[in-house]
Amino acid sequence: MQRPTDRNHRPHLMEAFWDFLRSLNDAYGINLVQFYDDFERTRLLRGMWTTIKLAVICIGLSVIIGIIGAWLQGSRHRILKAIVQGYIQFFRNTPPLVQMYFFYFALGPQMPRVVNEYGIAQPMLGSFEWAVISLSFFAGAFNVEIFRSGIEAVQKSTIEAAESLCFNRWQTYWYVILPLAVRFCLPALNNNLVNLAKTTTQAYAIAVPETLYVASQIWSDHINVFEMMITLLTFYLLLVGVIVWLMTRLERALAIPGYGR
Amino acid sequence: MKRKFSAAIAALFGAVMAMGATAQADQLAEIKQKGTLVVGVKTDYPPWGMRDANGNIVGMEPDMAADVAKRLGVKLELVPVVSSNRIQFLQQGKIDLMIATMSDTPERRKVVGIIDPVYYASGVALLANKAANIKSVEDLKGKPVCALQGAYYNNDMQSKYTQTDLVAFKGIPEAEQALLDGRCVGFIYDDVVLIWKKAQDPKFANFEVVPLPQWPVVPWGIAVKLEERDGPWGKFMAETITDWLKSGTLLELEKKWVGDNTAWLKEASEKAKGN
Amino acid sequence: MRAELIPAPAQGETGFTAAAFNRRAFACVIAAFLLVVVASEAVAQIRTTGGSQGIIDALIKWAPLILLGPPGEFGGFALNIAVSFLAMAIGTAAGLAVGLGQISLYPPVRAVSWAVTQFFRNSPWLVLLFFVMLLVPFQLKIGGISIPLPGWLKATFGLALPIMANMSEIVRGAVNSIPTSQWESAESLAFTRMQTLWRIILPQCVKRMIPPWMNWYAILTMTTPLISIVGVNDAMTLTQDALAAEQKTELLMPMYGMLLVFFFIYCYPIARWTIYLERKYAVKI
Repeated sequence: MQRPTDRNHRPHLMEAFWDFLRSLNDAYGINLVQFYDDFERTRLLRGMWTTIKLAVICIGLSVIIGIIGAWLQGSRHRILKAIVQGYIQFFRNTPPLVQMYFFYFALGPQMPRVVNEYGIAQPMLGSFEWAVISLSFFAGAFNVEIFRSGIEAVQKSTIEAAESLCFNRWQTYWYVILPLAVRFCLPALNNNLVNLAKTTTQAYAIAVPETLYVASQIWSDHINVFEMMITLLTFYLLLVGVIVWLMTRLERALAIPGYGR
Repeated sequence: MKRKFSAAIAALFGAVMAMGATAQADQLAEIKQKGTLVVGVKTDYPPWGMRDANGNIVGMEPDMAADVAKRLGVKLELVPVVSSNRIQFLQQGKIDLMIATMSDTPERRKVVGIIDPVYYASGVALLANKAANIKSVEDLKGKPVCALQGAYYNNDMQSKYTQTDLVAFKGIPEAEQALLDGRCVGFIYDDVVLIWKKAQDPKFANFEVVPLPQWPVVPWGIAVKLEERDGPWGKFMAETITDWLKSGTLLELEKKWVGDNTAWLKEASEKAKGN
Repeated sequence: MRAELIPAPAQGETGFTAAAFNRRAFACVIAAFLLVVVASEAVAQIRTTGGSQGIIDALIKWAPLILLGPPGEFGGFALNIAVSFLAMAIGTAAGLAVGLGQISLYPPVRAVSWAVTQFFRNSPWLVLLFFVMLLVPFQLKIGGISIPLPGWLKATFGLALPIMANMSEIVRGAVNSIPTSQWESAESLAFTRMQTLWRIILPQCVKRMIPPWMNWYAILTMTTPLISIVGVNDAMTLTQDALAAEQKTELLMPMYGMLLVFFFIYCYPIARWTIYLERKYAVKI
């Protein structure tokens, strides 16, 4: 005889699991409060979601900055080239943590203020927004270099062929050069994006409620540093794993026959 | 080559085994033998612990640490700590003694040896932006509040009152800056410090100190390692603190650094004299 | 695979000629910083009530502390550099070992080395730093001797771990880029595997490994400010202490700007030198 599925049993199952974890603490001192306590669990999941949001938005923005920067670097105006070069050298040769502090504490208050609903004149951009800006510019600088190396790998003959077909500079860039360049530089881009996902932990310093921030609050309260570390490392390994998997699939889908294996 | 390699592995293994086998020595004797007392103090909590223009650590608590070293007849070494690492440093043995404005809570008593009698006390207050018109803790629901990472009231504040993430920084200058920039409606911290800051810093003219009686006045404790609390080191510290209260040393130091004597310390000194 | 033939520097430049932009880019950055200082000075002049020092004076006053640390202690920017050297040295040595483990003939050694490499490559540096700072004891007691582990040393170990993993990848890529014929010729000359590695393969690899190795050194130097978060007295902490002592909002941009310029002045020449070495050692296939 088949047991009827009882919807009401499911919450009890979770409760039983949380109680099991609680018993681990009492019996062996393994404190997994970040799972069995509702408040901490919600906090942690929210923190992980913030990290994922931060990573995804920064990846998107930095790729856009990379494409635009690589385009500007090929321009004919010396001043434009110098500005882009200055931007790249500045963001590549200074620490991302100090950049974030500079943006949030030094530049932030200079922004125009809006009076928010609590009656306080607040700077327009909060910690999350500044973290996004800082990290996107940081990764964008590397992406400009990566895209440019991909662009240089495109054969001259292809570009000349496009020119002979009356493509203007922008059309050549968008329809001919960029697709080829992206395929050439995907491994390096993959590396950079994974690095960006890991660098989001530095937003901890400007109080963005991402995973490391929430984790440090939990381990301050409950003194279970080791368990929190394992949780953190597992989460980030999974996140990086997902990004690498997606990029590998992208690489395979975009592979050009006749290059590499 | 192979024999050298396996000999090295054997030596390493033996070393690792030996690491666990050393017995717990008497810390008071160790300190006297070392000739140095390592004390963890704050450097971002004026006037209890701060840096002066030359980079030296000064304040009421460094002075207390210096007195302990004098009584032991050893040199003093001050190690800067913050709320989020002071307990770990003591547990790991990086510091022998912790005089770092730490609140005495039962949870903390389980992990470090807090000495009785306690030497100070403070409550919790909010340095609130006058424009936000915060009168009590209920007004904070859903609003961003600046805090210091690792404070014992952060968890309650977030779970019971604000119901939204705190804006917590690792150092007071950052938290103050965020408060002045308008990124939060108030800064939750120990009331004694906030009152002192508001009184002597014109930057906070548009801010007011809102006491938060939800958290009772909590004593501050000096701590040693948990295992040492009932040993000679713990007993020595207990005697020292009792002597400070009786002889009025703490009252003097408070007057020197904070400017005036608080009611709690006066009461505690009277009680100690009475015993 | 094309990417494997020449171990591509992780985020590096692959041979572009930008010699003309050297001085211009440098000048752009310095000019921007000076602009920020002058602007802040102008703002300060307008806002100052009880005439105090100018911005330049404040920067000059605090620069020695930020560069060298508190008197009698080793800290500040000098500590950042020292930590970067030490972490690079430890990471390179350990990375070499793990990298050679990845090409070992014994499957368990290969598997463990691979796991270690992947684990430390894909973990955020800050999390590893916290891990080492909070969970490694403050001193090692071997027999009767206790070896103290000061905070900055633990932070150095923490930073050396990801370097070890990345070096392992560089070593593996470099060794795999040596043609198999070299191994075969060595075998035919009765070299053992160890001898082949150390006398024939690795010397050829060194040149290929230098540009990505220098690239990682630059990345490491720019990651050293993270040690300020775990309580080490480096340039970042001291800048924040200086700002806390001065309590002037006009100083925020110039002081953080000055810190950025310190790092820039140190890292930019290294970056240019890396490009030069890359071009010089480029393997022409």
